[in-house]
Amino acid sequence: MILTDVLGSDVVDNSGQRLGEVSDVRFAVDASPGQLLSKARMVGIVVSPRTASSFLGYERRGITQPWPVAQLLRWRHRGSFLVLWEDIAVIGPREVVLRPGFTAYESTLAF
Amino acid sequence: MKRLLGVALGILTAIGGFVDIGDLVTNAVVGSRFGLSLAWVVVIGVLGICLFANMSGRVAAVSGRATFEVIRERMGPRAGLANLGASFLINLMTVTAEIGGIALALQLASGVSYMLWVPFALLAVWLVIWRVKFSIMENVTGLVGLSLVVFAVALFLLKPDWGALAGQAFTPSVSGEESVGAYWYYAIALFGAAMTPYEVFFFSSGAVEEGWKVKDLVQSRINVLMGFPLGGFLSIAIAACAAVVLLPAGISVTTLSEVVLPVAQAGGQLALAVLILGIVAATFGAALETTLSSGYTLAQFFGWPWGKFRRPAAASRFHVAMMVVLLAGVAVLATGVDPILVTEYSVVFSAIALPLTYLPILIVANDPQYMGKHVNGRAVNVAGLVYLVIILVASLAAIPLMIATGAGA
Amino acid sequence: MSKAKRIHPLKIRPAPRPAGLVLDAQLHLLDRQMLDVDGVPVSTVDDVELSGPEPDERIPEGAEAPVISALLTGPVLGTRIFGGRPPSSRLIRIPWSVVAGVDTVVKLGVRSDSLDASWVERWLRHHVIPRIPGGRHDPH
Repeated sequence: MILTDVLGSDVVDNSGQRLGEVSDVRFAVDASPGQLLSKARMVGIVVSPRTASSFLGYERRGITQPWPVAQLLRWRHRGSFLVLWEDIAVIGPREVVLRPGFTAYESTLAF
Repeated sequence: MKRLLGVALGILTAIGGFVDIGDLVTNAVVGSRFGLSLAWVVVIGVLGICLFANMSGRVAAVSGRATFEVIRERMGPRAGLANLGASFLINLMTVTAEIGGIALALQLASGVSYMLWVPFALLAVWLVIWRVKFSIMENVTGLVGLSLVVFAVALFLLKPDWGALAGQAFTPSVSGEESVGAYWYYAIALFGAAMTPYEVFFFSSGAVEEGWKVKDLVQSRINVLMGFPLGGFLSIAIAACAAVVLLPAGISVTTLSEVVLPVAQAGGQLALAVLILGIVAATFGAALETTLSSGYTLAQFFGWPWGKFRRPAAASRFHVAMMVVLLAGVAVLATGVDPILVTEYSVVFSAIALPLTYLPILIVANDPQYMGKHVNGRAVNVAGLVYLVIILVASLAAIPLMIATGAGA
Repeated sequence: MSKAKRIHPLKIRPAPRPAGLVLDAQLHLLDRQMLDVDGVPVSTVDDVELSGPEPDERIPEGAEAPVISALLTGPVLGTRIFGGRPPSSRLIRIPWSVVAGVDTVVKLGVRSDSLDASWVERWLRHHVIPRIPGGRHDPH
């Protein structure tokens, strides 16, 4: 699977209700023992209710300049949330289906 | 002492490097038709380029990333490619115009048709790009280009009615025969000529070429804040010369001969010789900058190795791309198209590519991952946003005005 | 396209913070410049390849999370701009195992010349530049 197959796909819950689009895929790299990075494990997907277009970097908390560009982009992506890998049932080219009773987490990044 | 010399050199090259064929022609045309009533646009344009050149230089010095890398990274491949297409087209048009400008200036000096000078100009530009070190290239063309100061000297020798000139500049109005549409069309052209995107591509890539670090920021700021305004002052002097000599005589600028006419009239053969030297140096320098800029934008979009600090074998795609650009420019000239006309269109198209260039610079200059503690201050952000709004208006109005006024005719 | 159902803000929970480096693919990886071990530009990250899952197949509960297997470059960029998808054989891969760090650039732990991603650069270097005098020397 390649990343851009997933980015922009519709996200639906198990009843088929549309929740938004995949705007990013989050990975975690565990502390690396050697010189090179260790594996980058998928944490989950960031779902944006309106648009899969990029946040232009404003998904990170604490980046609020320049006004009002930051505020506009935040507003366009309001209601975005993170769904963990454990709660994803199917990843397809058109649609990502979530498991019943999935949990929505805050999607903002610390940095 | 050495440091002071460095600052002086930087300022001088910034002045000499500011004016290119687009500024020469557009300012002369404007002066001959509208007097100094558009001088305020040059002031706004110069402040804008100071702001964004300084910002892009700061991003490059702090993060090591040049402007087009930042554009691609932040705007993604689609908007990045749209900008690349537009910027590349403008670069190509400008390269064409500058090489034509070198040849036209040599024609003026020698009487030999400019078409015969084109291959010579091409070869000279390419040789410098292929073989000459970045800093030497910058300093020599900048310093010789400084002889354009003769426009300011000529203006004094012409003993104009200063009160009338100031009146035109400070209470701008559209004179009887000219339409309001043409006035605003040329306002956008002047704005585009002052803020052409190639300047920030060149400036930020140059910062990487010369290995700027945070400690060099003060010097770069002085260069920009002194050099560009003085370059803008030269632009206004060109327009003023045209306003004093050409406007009352009803002479319209269609070739380089009309651009230089006021200087020849004021200072005779000697002044003319100095001026032609200045024009050759300024257009030559701009031909180098635009050719390099087209290489920089392509290489940075696709992630190729680039830079004159690498030998051509170590940046092969970058160097081959620039050869192709130069040959394409000359091929355009070979069709017999008027370089002056190409110039006038290219500055208007510049205005269209501006928003896609300056928005990502502004965003990344606020990104602590790139900038650490050197993110933009509040005042710079406010100024940046005001300019983005102006840029947006100018770029939206450019094409409709071009069509409505028949390109300012 | 139907309007998306809103998740009530109160139902959105604070996210668990994984230890180590968190990377959002679009933000931190896509379209970033890759530099080799000597700082020489290699290419840009045009796409990212994952180890799984198969498209449209139901993911079994408790399945191992996919990992990034490679960064992709080359013709795949065209498909990101104009749509479509290149055949897997046309993808130029930079295996994740050679990635040394992710910052404003992606740093690789190997030399550029050892990667498929730089073949055009090498081809021009060996077949075009030598035909022009002076191409192998530093500028003066």
